[in-house]
Amino acid sequence: MLITELKNTDGIKSLLQGKTFILVCHGCKEIRFPEHEADALIQELVETGNVTGTLTTDYICNVENLKLRLQKHAAAIEAAEYILVLSCGVGVQTVADLYETKKVIPGCDTYALPGFQGVTPLEYDCKQCGECYLNLTGGICPITACSKSLVNGQCGGAKNGKCEVDPNMECGWERIQKRLAQIGRLDVLRSPVQVRNYATDEEVSK
Amino acid sequence: MENYTKYALKPEQELAQVLSGVDNIFVIACNKCFKEFNTTQEPDCEAFLQIAQQLGKTVTGSAKADFLCNKTKAEGKFNTMIPEGTENIVAISCGLGVQTIADVANLPVYAAANSLNYTGHHGMALTKKACDACAQCYLGITGGICPVVDCSKSLLNGQCGGAKNGKCEVSPDKDCAWEKIQQRLEKQGRVDQLLQQSVQVRDYSKVNFKVINDYVKSIREKRLDGWYGGVHPVEGKEPTEHKALVRFPAPENVVIPLSMHLGAPATAIVNVGDYVKMGQKIGEASGFISAPVHSSVSGKVVAIQDLPHATRGTCTSIVIENDGKDLLDESIQPNKPLEELTPAEIIEIVKEAGIVGMGGAGFPTYVKLNPGKPIDAVLVNACECEPMLTADHRVLLEYADDIIFGLQAEMKTVDAPKGIIVIEENKPDAIALLREKTADIEGIEVLEVTTQYPQGGEKMLIKRALGRSVPSGKLPADVGACVSNVSTVKAIADAIKTGMPLIERVTTVTGKYIPNPQNFIVRVGTSAAELVEACGGISAEDVLIKAGGPMMGFPQTTLYTPIMKGSNGIIAIDCDNTEPNECIKCGRCVDVCPMELKPLHYYKLACAQDWQGCKDMNIMDCMECRCCEYICSSKLPLVNMIKMGKNGVRGLK
Repeated sequence: MLITELKNTDGIKSLLQGKTFILVCHGCKEIRFPEHEADALIQELVETGNVTGTLTTDYICNVENLKLRLQKHAAAIEAAEYILVLSCGVGVQTVADLYETKKVIPGCDTYALPGFQGVTPLEYDCKQCGECYLNLTGGICPITACSKSLVNGQCGGAKNGKCEVDPNMECGWERIQKRLAQIGRLDVLRSPVQVRNYATDEEVSK
Repeated sequence: MENYTKYALKPEQELAQVLSGVDNIFVIACNKCFKEFNTTQEPDCEAFLQIAQQLGKTVTGSAKADFLCNKTKAEGKFNTMIPEGTENIVAISCGLGVQTIADVANLPVYAAANSLNYTGHHGMALTKKACDACAQCYLGITGGICPVVDCSKSLLNGQCGGAKNGKCEVSPDKDCAWEKIQQRLEKQGRVDQLLQQSVQVRDYSKVNFKVINDYVKSIREKRLDGWYGGVHPVEGKEPTEHKALVRFPAPENVVIPLSMHLGAPATAIVNVGDYVKMGQKIGEASGFISAPVHSSVSGKVVAIQDLPHATRGTCTSIVIENDGKDLLDESIQPNKPLEELTPAEIIEIVKEAGIVGMGGAGFPTYVKLNPGKPIDAVLVNACECEPMLTADHRVLLEYADDIIFGLQAEMKTVDAPKGIIVIEENKPDAIALLREKTADIEGIEVLEVTTQYPQGGEKMLIKRALGRSVPSGKLPADVGACVSNVSTVKAIADAIKTGMPLIERVTTVTGKYIPNPQNFIVRVGTSAAELVEACGGISAEDVLIKAGGPMMGFPQTTLYTPIMKGSNGIIAIDCDNTEPNECIKCGRCVDVCPMELKPLHYYKLACAQDWQGCKDMNIMDCMECRCCEYICSSKLPLVNMIKMGKNGVRGLK
């Protein structure tokens, strides 16, 4: 799951030097799609008279359904030199693959979303490190909750519980310590030093 | 589809270490997501239980859950399922599920699995990593091939020079992304454009977890404001929201279906050839849950026969040829002032006026006003959460006094001290007007709520306005609430003030393919085709016509159906030509279901005709709001399958 932000509209407009078809994806809009800004841009582009057609749909990354949906717009796409795609990077690439000879222009920047691995956007993140440390840390992830991804305790740089890298962030290791105290498991901090094996990612997933 | 998993159990040896000194454990396992949905029987839980047994651990219980990372649900349910004597919890899940459980559980939580780093997970690109979410999309200058993902070195300014025969020097099975980019741009004649680009510098600071995290929290808060789930489709109300109501001329013929409500159809009490007057009762209620119907014009009954019906296929209907005189039936007389009417008299007036829920479902209103249970709040549903429709919005603006009167009548009838008019924030003019008009009225308030579909669902509305949950299989009256649609309340006011039964309503005719969209006051029985014609007809072929809004409306094969008591709109929108794919267990349906159900299971269960399974998963709680189908990434016809499942469950009895 991703969230998108509209690129600088002057930049987009300067790239579109001819007839354009506009494709808007609302598939993950529930997550974040700059709907009103996009509408304003489309409106502006339509007024230039260079837009051959627009389609607002969802899940354009589903290539089979995208093809079915674009059938009706074949002539409009044929007449266009550019296809402006307002979607995440997956959608843009799907369209670019489908129309190799058209100039496909992305209208959005895509940001990763915490919780991407699961279903709902979350306040937690998981870096899929392949060697889950959560049982040693009271269920708070040292990889994502600590700016430095330290796996053997705090760096010592925190001030008043705040991280020295990002003063708005709570020190992950202080949180871990508090959580462990709360559940009466401070003893796990005495476990042997953890070594993160960066190679496991690749190996495990194969 | 490639089978593709989220986590793998930690090795036995490691688990032995993790569990040393840990006993009396409860095991919770996630059923995994983003996978071909062919089984709920993931093997990991059993495998772990076996290991625990070998280690001589006492397991107090185990459970499998869908989408363990769904914190809202985990918070509600998890702690209640932990048996007495449990001292520790073992979570078998990806890191998200473990963190969620660790946060909501009151006991130590241990992770028994490692999350796997798999590629893909964005959009439908399940097995292919297609986007790194770098926050500065380069695809516009690279012909739609991503240099961040497809180049091993994520180079942004051209090839490294190490490729041999078009293959990457880092992984020889991979094509050199920059060669691909170059070839693609050559096809488009844009190579020069690329070469003349200034050097691209990637700004790594752009992807700030904290910023996005805060943003996500804020949208989640808004989304979970008052109730779980829901979606926010494009509102599409602009074309008609500021258009004043137009009285549609009474047509030459009206077709009055005997069934415009939930429950038993009315029984015709006129015959072909009879002369009927406007407001005359022509169909009698035939049961406790039923409603009478009235003539909306004066004229001659020319036929009583089965005719097309917007929601039921066909229905016995009374056709009246309008003589244009609008002669009022003698029975239509103003009632006593509200202060002098007793609750029983009001119920009788509402019943005789044939008033039913005008939001679409058509539940006879007099039944709601006679709940036999104490009611402390009457809610007026003025959310109009359904996209595109503006009928209720216009009624709010143009009949505010009637709405307040009708609400007062309802409050008096059910003896409720409180009346709340609930309006979505996308109708600020209506909120301001109603606030002004109710400022001096004790007991009535106007509540502004977020624009979120289906805010106007009865159970959502009660939860949002009163903070009460209507239990499965129960009615609003069971939690002391009575909910009426805003048009219904207005109809009650009409019936009391003038004695006029429900023979006209407000309907929005709109959509991309309606040239001149309008809000009409229209006689019941007017053909939808006439309304559409008055709006300039339908401007294209191959258009989807729905009776109602885009979410809950019924697709129509003909426009020759009559406007009924519950017809809040006619829309003409784009057809969506799609084919259903396999369910990929993306879990979005679970994320949006306001009744907190798991629609993906109904699809699977209904396919297997497992009606008992459907029943066990509370399929009957579904109100068919279509959020799941709207959000479904595989375009599965979920609502049809749920309807089938409900029919199957009904057959079980």
